[in-house]
Amino acid sequence: MSTLTETKTATTSNLARAKELWNEYLPYWFMTPMVLVMLLITVFPGVYDLYLSLVHYELTNPATMGTFAGLSNFRAAFTSAGALHSFGVTLAFVGGSLALETAFGFVLAALVTGVKSDRMQAFYRVAFILPMAVAPVSLATIFRIMLNSEVGVVPYLIATYTPFVAPNFLSDLPLLTIILVDTWNWTPFMFIIFYAGLSSVPDTLVEAAKVDGAPLWRRYVHVVVPYMKPVLFVAILIRLIDLFRTFGLVFSLTRGGPGTATQLVSINIFEQGFKFVDLGVASAIAIVYLVGIVALCNVLIAKVGFDGVWD
Amino acid sequence: MKTDVDANPGASGEPTRPSRRFSKDTRNRLAAVGRHAALLLWTVVVLFPLYWIVSMSLKPPREAISLPPDWVFLPTVFNYLRLVQESSFIAAFANSLFMVTASVILVLLIGVPAAYVLSRYDIPKQRDVLVWILSSRMLPPIAVVIPFFVIFRSLNLYDTRIGMIFMYVTINISLVVWVMKAFFDGIPEALEEAARVDGATRFQGFRKVVLPAAKPGIFSVAIISFIFAWIELLFGLVLTNNRAVTVSMQVYQFIGVRQIEWGLLAAASTAVILPVLVFVVAVNKYLAAGLSFGVVIKE
Repeated sequence: MSTLTETKTATTSNLARAKELWNEYLPYWFMTPMVLVMLLITVFPGVYDLYLSLVHYELTNPATMGTFAGLSNFRAAFTSAGALHSFGVTLAFVGGSLALETAFGFVLAALVTGVKSDRMQAFYRVAFILPMAVAPVSLATIFRIMLNSEVGVVPYLIATYTPFVAPNFLSDLPLLTIILVDTWNWTPFMFIIFYAGLSSVPDTLVEAAKVDGAPLWRRYVHVVVPYMKPVLFVAILIRLIDLFRTFGLVFSLTRGGPGTATQLVSINIFEQGFKFVDLGVASAIAIVYLVGIVALCNVLIAKVGFDGVWD
Repeated sequence: MKTDVDANPGASGEPTRPSRRFSKDTRNRLAAVGRHAALLLWTVVVLFPLYWIVSMSLKPPREAISLPPDWVFLPTVFNYLRLVQESSFIAAFANSLFMVTASVILVLLIGVPAAYVLSRYDIPKQRDVLVWILSSRMLPPIAVVIPFFVIFRSLNLYDTRIGMIFMYVTINISLVVWVMKAFFDGIPEALEEAARVDGATRFQGFRKVVLPAAKPGIFSVAIISFIFAWIELLFGLVLTNNRAVTVSMQVYQFIGVRQIEWGLLAAASTAVILPVLVFVVAVNKYLAAGLSFGVVIKE
């Protein structure tokens, strides 16, 4: 856009020439800022992380700072029990949350799609999206209060109205609790994508299956789900990537505890970097983690394929 | 648009099966009742925590955490008054609002034109470019934040609004490009071609024909970007100190320091939820379209 404004004071022929250039090379002008930003946010952190992972970088130990460390940071990343444990915790958290969010999101979307009244549909749609609006810190606050074994309303309701003994959610079932809270928080994301996806399945297809006498489950398995495959794939891929990034919610809910029971990799890296101020080891773990996620996503994209999703 | 794939044989004559115990009508009614029962149950699951935090923020301190809970109480704005007196909270709130809004405008200016090009022109290795863009979302924020922490300190961007606005752009750029590309894909190219025939330049075709058609998409992607930046905690935690403190960080500090002041905490949490809540309710129609990644529009 600057090309246009800069030439305002120039002669008309210059202006016309600038306009011509602007239009002729429009795709380049349009792409350049994005490419610059992308280079800055992918190449720079990647290269810098790689550099940090190969040197000593303990802020508390300025004497050795910046000296070559070989692969000792990576050795620390792989041998420290904390790092390996946090990979396991992350896999359990991501797997559990993704499964629950996908299942709930799909069932809810199917149920809402079948609602006859448009107003009721709109009501459910708004209500079901709401949790997504809640910031992780607020969410953590809410659930810390509600699940607290002394002042929490959930243990109180369980103890009062059910025959069960209320567990102490955050200390006895920390991993399950963060999975459930994340499910509460992000099922809306799956719901809204699946809802839009279901709306796009042509009526005629489903009707035809009905006429052929296919029962409900067959209509879903053989007609609806195959038709929605691109939507399911994009939603699951994006949610998967975001689940691996989870930080704020779990950090403010449990700080990774009790002990290290909910220490996700992202929290582990944070602790290495800013509590133990060892950016070398923190970066090494980050590199290993990133390579793992990129590899996983590439396998998924290659296996399931992009066809029908973006072309 | 609606596809009633669920138990609703309707008029389309499902072959009758003598073994069914109930008539078709009764089965339909039972299915509808079951459906609404399940949906209302989820509505309660969704709304109860929200009701709880709001009601807590409106209770006087002593009642806030009393069990059994006071289901009926006289609301008070006491906690909100105290929140306002916490000048640091209001400052952080306004600060976040400014930084997040600025970042959304910036990310749209950068991402929307790029998405348009990715949709309309043959880019070499287009698929790889798209995956590369998505990969910026695969970097765990913590891995992004360490390099930027170091570089921000040397460039004097640490604890500045400009630094934070840039970080928010990095969160959302891939989302904007991916979603907007899908939207542009759904807008027929014939529209611009017609404009070109009428003498419009490429840019005019984009600005006067394509952009207006993509408005719902831009609108929804703006809201989603706003949400993702607004709820971000880590960047504020690592890259700010006091000048550019975010609202998430303020609430986070409340959790640690003022564990006892439940009412104040509840009020602060409600205040953080509020702007996004208002947004979501107001534009939920567009949000649905935007998050569908263009699937509906492709139809």
